[in-house]
Amino acid sequence: MKRWLGPLLTMLVAAVGTHALVLHEAPRFIMGKATQRMEQRGIPLNRFVLAARMTPQTQTVVRPSPDLAYSICRFDFNRQQGPIKIVMAPYKGYSSLSLFDASTDNFLTVRGNGKQRQVALVAPGANAKGGAIASPSRKGLILIRRLAPDHQSYDRVKQVAQNDICQGATG
Amino acid sequence: MTDKAGSHLRRAALYVGAILIGVSVGGYSALAMGGLLPGSRGLDSAGVDVNGWHSDFAIGSSSANPYVRARVARSGLLALSRSEAVYFTTASDEDGQPLREQCDYRIFGAGMPAQWWSITLYDGESRLPMNDDHALSIDASRLNGNSWSALISARRPGNGLWVSSRNAGRFDVTLRLYIPDKNLFSNPQDVLNPPRIERLGCPRGAA
Repeated sequence: MKRWLGPLLTMLVAAVGTHALVLHEAPRFIMGKATQRMEQRGIPLNRFVLAARMTPQTQTVVRPSPDLAYSICRFDFNRQQGPIKIVMAPYKGYSSLSLFDASTDNFLTVRGNGKQRQVALVAPGANAKGGAIASPSRKGLILIRRLAPDHQSYDRVKQVAQNDICQGATG
Repeated sequence: MTDKAGSHLRRAALYVGAILIGVSVGGYSALAMGGLLPGSRGLDSAGVDVNGWHSDFAIGSSSANPYVRARVARSGLLALSRSEAVYFTTASDEDGQPLREQCDYRIFGAGMPAQWWSITLYDGESRLPMNDDHALSIDASRLNGNSWSALISARRPGNGLWVSSRNAGRFDVTLRLYIPDKNLFSNPQDVLNPPRIERLGCPRGAA
Protein backbone atom coordinates (compact mmCIF):
# COMPACT_ATOMS: atom_id res chain seq x y z
CA MET A 1 0.00 0.00 0.00
CA LYS A 2 2.79 2.37 1.00
CA ARG A 3 4.26 1.85 -2.44
CA TRP A 4 1.18 3.42 -4.07
CA LEU A 5 0.93 6.41 -1.76
CA GLY A 6 3.49 8.51 -3.66
CA PRO A 7 1.94 7.97 -7.12
CA LEU A 8 -1.58 8.51 -5.75
CA LEU A 9 -0.61 11.79 -4.13
CA THR A 10 1.19 12.83 -7.31
CA MET A 11 -1.95 12.07 -9.32
CA LEU A 12 -4.10 14.07 -6.91
CA VAL A 13 -1.78 17.10 -7.02
CA ALA A 14 -1.62 16.93 -10.83
CA ALA A 15 -5.43 16.70 -11.06
CA VAL A 16 -6.13 19.59 -8.68
CA GLY A 17 -3.38 21.73 -10.22
CA THR A 18 -4.55 21.15 -13.78
CA HIS A 19 -8.19 21.72 -12.81
CA ALA A 20 -7.36 25.09 -11.24
CA LEU A 21 -5.02 26.11 -14.06
CA VAL A 22 -7.55 25.35 -16.81
CA LEU A 23 -10.32 27.28 -15.05
CA HIS A 24 -8.02 30.21 -14.31
CA GLU A 25 -6.69 30.49 -17.84
CA ALA A 26 -9.88 29.73 -19.79
CA PRO A 27 -11.41 33.26 -19.67
CA ARG A 28 -8.09 34.86 -20.62
CA PHE A 29 -7.64 32.38 -23.48
CA ILE A 30 -11.18 32.89 -24.81
CA MET A 31 -10.87 36.68 -24.51
CA GLY A 32 -7.52 36.54 -26.32
CA LYS A 33 -9.05 34.54 -29.17
CA ALA A 34 -12.01 36.94 -29.44
CA THR A 35 -9.65 39.94 -29.52
CA GLN A 36 -7.55 38.23 -32.17
CA ARG A 37 -10.65 37.64 -34.32
CA MET A 38 -11.59 41.31 -33.95
CA GLU A 39 -8.11 42.35 -35.02
CA GLN A 40 -8.36 40.07 -38.06
CA ARG A 41 -11.69 41.69 -38.93
CA GLY A 42 -10.05 45.09 -38.99
CA ILE A 43 -10.84 46.52 -35.56
CA PRO A 44 -7.74 48.62 -34.85
CA LEU A 45 -6.21 49.61 -31.53
CA ASN A 46 -7.41 52.83 -29.91
CA ARG A 47 -10.34 53.53 -32.19
CA PHE A 48 -14.02 52.81 -31.85
CA VAL A 49 -15.52 50.78 -34.65
CA LEU A 50 -19.29 50.46 -34.89
CA ALA A 51 -20.13 46.81 -35.56
CA ALA A 52 -22.57 46.07 -38.35
CA ARG A 53 -26.15 45.55 -37.22
CA MET A 54 -26.06 42.28 -35.29
CA THR A 55 -27.38 39.38 -37.39
CA PRO A 56 -26.52 35.67 -37.61
CA GLN A 57 -24.22 36.56 -40.49
CA THR A 58 -22.35 39.40 -38.74
CA GLN A 59 -21.99 38.08 -35.16
CA THR A 60 -18.40 37.94 -33.91
CA VAL A 61 -18.86 37.05 -30.24
CA VAL A 62 -21.25 34.65 -28.53
CA ARG A 63 -24.73 35.80 -27.52
CA PRO A 64 -24.85 39.21 -29.14
CA SER A 65 -28.08 41.14 -28.75
CA PRO A 66 -29.68 41.99 -32.11
CA ASP A 67 -31.43 44.90 -30.37
CA LEU A 68 -28.21 46.69 -29.48
CA ALA A 69 -25.60 48.48 -31.58
CA TYR A 70 -22.05 47.79 -30.41
CA SER A 71 -19.04 50.07 -30.81
CA ILE A 72 -15.76 48.35 -29.94
CA CYS A 73 -12.29 49.65 -29.15
CA ARG A 74 -9.29 47.46 -28.34
CA PHE A 75 -6.59 48.70 -26.01
CA ASP A 76 -3.09 47.39 -25.38
CA PHE A 77 -0.77 49.16 -22.97
CA ASN A 78 2.16 47.13 -24.31
CA ARG A 79 1.87 49.31 -27.44
CA GLN A 80 0.63 52.46 -25.75
CA GLN A 81 2.44 54.52 -23.13
CA GLY A 82 0.11 57.26 -21.98
CA PRO A 83 -3.53 57.28 -20.93
CA ILE A 84 -6.36 56.50 -23.31
CA LYS A 85 -9.07 59.11 -23.68
CA ILE A 86 -12.49 57.50 -24.03
CA VAL A 87 -15.57 59.51 -24.96
CA MET A 88 -19.06 58.13 -25.47
CA ALA A 89 -21.12 60.60 -27.50
CA PRO A 90 -24.63 61.37 -26.21
CA TYR A 91 -27.47 59.21 -27.48
CA LYS A 92 -31.21 59.48 -27.02
CA GLY A 93 -32.06 56.03 -25.77
CA TYR A 94 -30.23 53.48 -23.64
CA SER A 95 -26.45 53.64 -23.88
CA SER A 96 -23.58 52.43 -21.74
CA LEU A 97 -19.80 52.41 -21.84
CA SER A 98 -18.21 49.30 -20.39
CA LEU A 99 -14.58 48.31 -19.95
CA PHE A 100 -13.37 44.69 -19.85
CA ASP A 101 -9.98 43.41 -18.80
CA ALA A 102 -8.10 40.46 -20.30
CA SER A 103 -9.83 38.05 -17.88
CA THR A 104 -13.29 39.18 -19.09
CA ASP A 105 -14.07 41.15 -15.90
CA ASN A 106 -16.30 44.16 -16.47
CA PHE A 107 -14.23 46.57 -14.36
CA LEU A 108 -16.14 49.73 -15.20
CA THR A 109 -19.56 50.60 -16.61
CA VAL A 110 -20.83 54.12 -17.12
CA ARG A 111 -24.43 54.70 -18.14
CA GLY A 112 -25.11 57.34 -20.79
CA ASN A 113 -28.50 58.72 -19.69
CA GLY A 114 -28.52 60.88 -22.82
CA LYS A 115 -25.28 62.67 -21.95
CA GLN A 116 -21.69 62.53 -23.16
CA ARG A 117 -19.45 60.44 -20.90
CA GLN A 118 -15.69 60.59 -20.67
CA VAL A 119 -13.14 58.31 -19.02
CA ALA A 120 -9.33 58.40 -18.89
CA LEU A 121 -7.84 54.89 -18.79
CA VAL A 122 -4.30 54.30 -17.58
CA ALA A 123 -2.08 51.21 -17.51
CA PRO A 124 -2.09 48.81 -14.54
CA GLY A 125 -0.10 50.31 -11.67
CA ALA A 126 0.08 53.76 -13.28
CA ASN A 127 -0.81 56.84 -11.29
CA ALA A 128 -4.58 57.17 -11.69
CA LYS A 129 -4.79 60.88 -10.93
CA GLY A 130 -7.63 63.25 -11.77
CA GLY A 131 -10.29 60.57 -11.74
CA ALA A 132 -8.49 58.32 -14.23
CA ILE A 133 -9.21 54.59 -14.08
CA ALA A 134 -6.37 52.08 -13.89
CA SER A 135 -6.95 49.01 -16.02
CA PRO A 136 -6.44 45.71 -14.17
CA SER A 137 -4.68 44.27 -17.25
CA ARG A 138 -2.53 45.64 -20.04
CA LYS A 139 -4.95 44.49 -22.74
CA GLY A 140 -8.71 44.68 -22.92
CA LEU A 141 -11.81 45.84 -24.71
CA ILE A 142 -14.06 48.86 -24.47
CA LEU A 143 -17.65 48.46 -25.55
CA ILE A 144 -20.42 50.98 -26.12
CA ARG A 145 -23.92 49.55 -26.24
CA ARG A 146 -26.78 51.58 -27.65
CA LEU A 147 -30.39 50.46 -27.94
CA ALA A 148 -31.15 50.08 -31.65
CA PRO A 149 -33.83 47.45 -32.26
CA ASP A 150 -34.65 48.62 -35.80
CA HIS A 151 -32.95 50.04 -38.89
CA GLN A 152 -33.98 53.60 -38.15
CA SER A 153 -32.44 53.62 -34.69
CA TYR A 154 -29.32 51.85 -35.98
CA ASP A 155 -28.96 54.63 -38.57
CA ARG A 156 -29.22 57.15 -35.73
CA VAL A 157 -26.47 55.31 -33.87
CA LYS A 158 -24.31 55.47 -37.00
CA GLN A 159 -24.46 59.26 -36.90
CA VAL A 160 -23.86 59.52 -33.16
CA ALA A 161 -21.05 56.96 -33.06
CA GLN A 162 -18.91 59.10 -35.35
CA ASN A 163 -18.30 61.30 -32.31
CA ASP A 164 -17.12 58.49 -30.02
CA ILE A 165 -13.44 58.75 -29.13
CA CYS A 166 -10.96 56.07 -28.06
CA GLN A 167 -7.61 57.73 -28.39
CA GLY A 168 -4.19 57.03 -26.97
CA ALA A 169 -1.89 59.87 -26.01
CA THR A 170 1.07 60.09 -28.34
CA GLY A 171 4.70 60.04 -27.34
CA MET B 1 19.87 -4.18 -16.67
CA THR B 2 20.11 -4.83 -12.94
CA ASP B 3 17.06 -5.54 -10.78
CA LYS B 4 17.59 -2.23 -9.00
CA ALA B 5 17.70 -0.24 -12.24
CA GLY B 6 14.58 -2.04 -13.47
CA SER B 7 12.78 -1.25 -10.25
CA HIS B 8 13.67 2.45 -10.55
CA LEU B 9 12.43 2.48 -14.12
CA ARG B 10 9.10 0.89 -13.17
CA ARG B 11 8.71 3.39 -10.34
CA ALA B 12 9.43 6.33 -12.68
CA ALA B 13 6.89 4.96 -15.17
CA LEU B 14 4.34 4.74 -12.36
CA TYR B 15 4.85 8.41 -11.48
CA VAL B 16 4.67 9.48 -15.12
CA GLY B 17 1.43 7.50 -15.48
CA ALA B 18 0.05 9.11 -12.30
CA ILE B 19 0.84 12.59 -13.63
CA LEU B 20 -0.77 11.84 -17.00
CA ILE B 21 -3.93 10.48 -15.39
CA GLY B 22 -4.05 13.43 -12.96
CA VAL B 23 -3.65 15.99 -15.74
CA SER B 24 -6.32 14.26 -17.84
CA VAL B 25 -8.83 13.99 -15.00
CA GLY B 26 -8.16 17.53 -13.75
CA GLY B 27 -8.32 19.03 -17.23
CA TYR B 28 -11.45 17.18 -18.29
CA SER B 29 -13.29 17.93 -15.05
CA ALA B 30 -12.43 21.63 -15.36
CA LEU B 31 -13.71 21.74 -18.93
CA ALA B 32 -16.89 19.91 -17.97
CA MET B 33 -17.62 21.91 -14.80
CA GLY B 34 -16.74 25.20 -16.49
CA GLY B 35 -19.14 24.47 -19.38
CA LEU B 36 -16.22 24.50 -21.80
CA LEU B 37 -16.76 21.19 -23.57
CA PRO B 38 -18.23 21.31 -27.08
CA GLY B 39 -22.01 21.16 -26.92
CA SER B 40 -22.22 21.96 -23.22
CA ARG B 41 -24.84 24.53 -22.28
CA GLY B 42 -23.22 27.18 -20.18
CA LEU B 43 -25.73 29.65 -18.81
CA ASP B 44 -28.88 27.63 -18.25
CA SER B 45 -27.50 25.91 -15.17
CA ALA B 46 -26.24 28.89 -13.17
CA GLY B 47 -26.99 29.67 -9.51
CA VAL B 48 -30.28 31.61 -9.37
CA ASP B 49 -33.35 29.70 -10.61
CA VAL B 50 -36.70 31.43 -11.08
CA ASN B 51 -39.22 29.02 -12.61
CA GLY B 52 -36.56 27.34 -14.73
CA TRP B 53 -34.85 30.59 -15.81
CA HIS B 54 -31.26 30.60 -14.60
CA SER B 55 -28.90 33.43 -13.82
CA ASP B 56 -25.82 34.18 -11.78
CA PHE B 57 -25.70 37.64 -10.31
CA ALA B 58 -21.89 37.50 -10.16
CA ILE B 59 -21.62 37.51 -13.98
CA GLY B 60 -19.19 40.16 -15.19
CA SER B 61 -17.77 40.74 -11.74
CA SER B 62 -14.33 39.82 -10.42
CA SER B 63 -16.08 38.13 -7.48
CA ALA B 64 -17.56 35.45 -9.76
CA ASN B 65 -16.19 32.00 -8.97
CA PRO B 66 -13.92 30.34 -11.55
CA TYR B 67 -16.70 28.10 -12.85
CA VAL B 68 -19.04 31.04 -13.52
CA ARG B 69 -16.21 32.99 -15.13
CA ALA B 70 -15.39 30.09 -17.44
CA ARG B 71 -19.05 29.53 -18.38
CA VAL B 72 -19.60 33.21 -19.08
CA ALA B 73 -16.38 33.49 -21.12
CA ARG B 74 -17.59 30.68 -23.37
CA SER B 75 -21.31 31.43 -23.47
CA GLY B 76 -21.66 35.13 -22.68
CA LEU B 77 -18.40 36.95 -23.30
CA LEU B 78 -18.49 40.71 -22.54
CA ALA B 79 -21.52 40.37 -20.27
CA LEU B 80 -22.19 43.37 -18.05
CA SER B 81 -22.12 43.28 -14.28
CA ARG B 82 -25.43 43.16 -12.44
CA SER B 83 -25.87 46.84 -11.70
CA GLU B 84 -26.28 47.40 -15.44
CA ALA B 85 -27.76 44.17 -16.76
CA VAL B 86 -28.88 40.75 -15.60
CA TYR B 87 -29.21 37.74 -17.87
CA PHE B 88 -31.65 34.86 -17.32
CA THR B 89 -31.54 31.84 -19.60
CA THR B 90 -33.75 28.80 -20.04
CA ALA B 91 -33.35 25.81 -22.31
CA SER B 92 -36.61 24.10 -21.46
CA ASP B 93 -40.35 24.66 -21.73
CA GLU B 94 -42.74 24.83 -18.78
CA ASP B 95 -42.88 21.01 -18.67
CA GLY B 96 -39.11 20.78 -18.39
CA GLN B 97 -38.69 19.48 -21.95
CA PRO B 98 -35.71 20.78 -23.97
CA LEU B 99 -36.50 23.56 -26.45
CA ARG B 100 -36.17 22.24 -30.01
CA GLU B 101 -36.48 23.62 -33.50
CA GLN B 102 -38.92 20.80 -34.38
CA CYS B 103 -41.51 22.15 -31.94
CA ASP B 104 -43.65 25.28 -31.83
CA TYR B 105 -43.99 27.24 -28.60
CA ARG B 106 -45.90 30.21 -27.30
CA ILE B 107 -44.06 32.43 -24.87
CA PHE B 108 -46.16 34.55 -22.51
CA GLY B 109 -44.87 37.46 -20.49
CA ALA B 110 -45.78 40.58 -18.57
CA GLY B 111 -43.90 43.60 -17.22
CA MET B 112 -40.30 43.08 -16.16
CA PRO B 113 -38.43 44.63 -13.21
CA ALA B 114 -36.08 46.62 -15.42
CA GLN B 115 -35.98 49.80 -17.49
CA TRP B 116 -35.57 47.83 -20.69
CA TRP B 117 -35.65 44.12 -21.47
CA SER B 118 -35.35 41.77 -24.41
CA ILE B 119 -35.72 38.09 -25.21
CA THR B 120 -33.34 36.48 -27.70
CA LEU B 121 -33.08 32.94 -29.04
CA TYR B 122 -29.65 31.27 -29.32
CA ASP B 123 -28.59 27.94 -30.79
CA GLY B 124 -26.61 25.23 -28.99
CA GLU B 125 -23.36 27.10 -29.67
CA SER B 126 -24.66 30.30 -28.04
CA ARG B 127 -24.99 31.97 -31.44
CA LEU B 128 -27.90 33.60 -33.21
CA PRO B 129 -29.36 30.80 -35.35
CA MET B 130 -28.20 30.95 -38.94
CA ASN B 131 -31.34 32.12 -40.73
CA ASP B 132 -32.47 35.27 -42.52
CA ASP B 133 -35.92 35.56 -40.96
CA HIS B 134 -35.14 38.87 -39.20
CA ALA B 135 -37.01 37.56 -36.17
CA LEU B 136 -34.26 36.99 -33.64
CA SER B 137 -35.72 38.67 -30.59
CA ILE B 138 -38.47 40.73 -29.06
CA ASP B 139 -37.86 43.70 -26.81
CA ALA B 140 -39.74 46.06 -24.55
CA SER B 141 -39.60 48.95 -27.00
CA ARG B 142 -41.76 47.06 -29.54
CA LEU B 143 -44.57 46.16 -27.14
CA ASN B 144 -47.56 48.09 -25.96
CA GLY B 145 -48.93 47.37 -22.54
CA ASN B 146 -47.85 44.90 -19.92
CA SER B 147 -48.95 41.49 -21.18
CA TRP B 148 -47.64 40.01 -24.39
CA SER B 149 -47.16 36.70 -26.13
CA ALA B 150 -45.11 35.57 -29.10
CA LEU B 151 -44.75 32.45 -31.20
CA ILE B 152 -41.42 30.62 -31.19
CA SER B 153 -41.34 28.55 -34.34
CA ALA B 154 -39.22 27.68 -37.34
CA ARG B 155 -42.10 28.86 -39.58
CA ARG B 156 -43.36 32.41 -39.94
CA PRO B 157 -46.90 32.80 -38.58
CA GLY B 158 -49.60 34.73 -40.40
CA ASN B 159 -49.58 37.49 -37.83
CA GLY B 160 -48.42 38.39 -34.33
CA LEU B 161 -45.02 38.51 -32.67
CA TRP B 162 -42.62 35.81 -33.79
CA VAL B 163 -39.17 34.59 -32.78
CA SER B 164 -37.69 32.31 -35.41
CA SER B 165 -36.09 29.02 -34.32
CA ARG B 166 -35.19 28.01 -37.88
CA ASN B 167 -31.77 26.31 -37.95
CA ALA B 168 -31.49 26.59 -34.15
CA GLY B 169 -31.55 22.84 -33.39
CA ARG B 170 -31.75 22.54 -29.61
CA PHE B 171 -31.85 26.11 -28.42
CA ASP B 172 -32.19 28.35 -25.40
CA VAL B 173 -33.72 31.72 -24.74
CA THR B 174 -32.07 34.59 -22.86
CA LEU B 175 -33.94 37.30 -21.04
CA ARG B 176 -31.89 40.50 -20.66
CA LEU B 177 -32.92 42.92 -17.95
CA TYR B 178 -31.19 46.28 -18.36
CA ILE B 179 -30.97 48.56 -15.33
CA PRO B 180 -32.75 45.99 -13.18
CA ASP B 181 -34.76 46.73 -10.06
CA LYS B 182 -32.35 46.42 -7.11
CA ASN B 183 -34.84 44.28 -5.18
CA LEU B 184 -34.33 41.59 -7.80
CA PHE B 185 -31.01 40.62 -6.20
CA SER B 186 -32.37 40.10 -2.72
CA ASN B 187 -35.65 38.48 -3.71
CA PRO B 188 -35.62 37.22 -7.29
CA GLN B 189 -38.48 34.76 -6.80
CA ASP B 190 -40.93 37.49 -5.86
CA VAL B 191 -39.64 40.34 -7.99
CA LEU B 192 -39.28 38.53 -11.32
CA ASN B 193 -42.22 36.98 -13.09
CA PRO B 194 -40.34 35.30 -15.94
CA PRO B 195 -41.99 34.43 -19.24
CA ARG B 196 -43.79 31.08 -19.51
CA ILE B 197 -42.99 28.89 -22.50
CA GLU B 198 -45.80 26.55 -23.54
CA ARG B 199 -45.14 23.81 -26.07
CA LEU B 200 -47.89 23.85 -28.73
CA GLY B 201 -46.75 20.79 -30.64
CA CYS B 202 -43.89 19.30 -32.59
CA PRO B 203 -45.02 19.24 -36.24
CA ARG B 204 -41.49 18.73 -37.53
CA GLY B 205 -40.45 15.81 -35.32
CA ALA B 206 -41.41 13.54 -32.45
CA ALA B 207 -42.37 15.27 -29.18
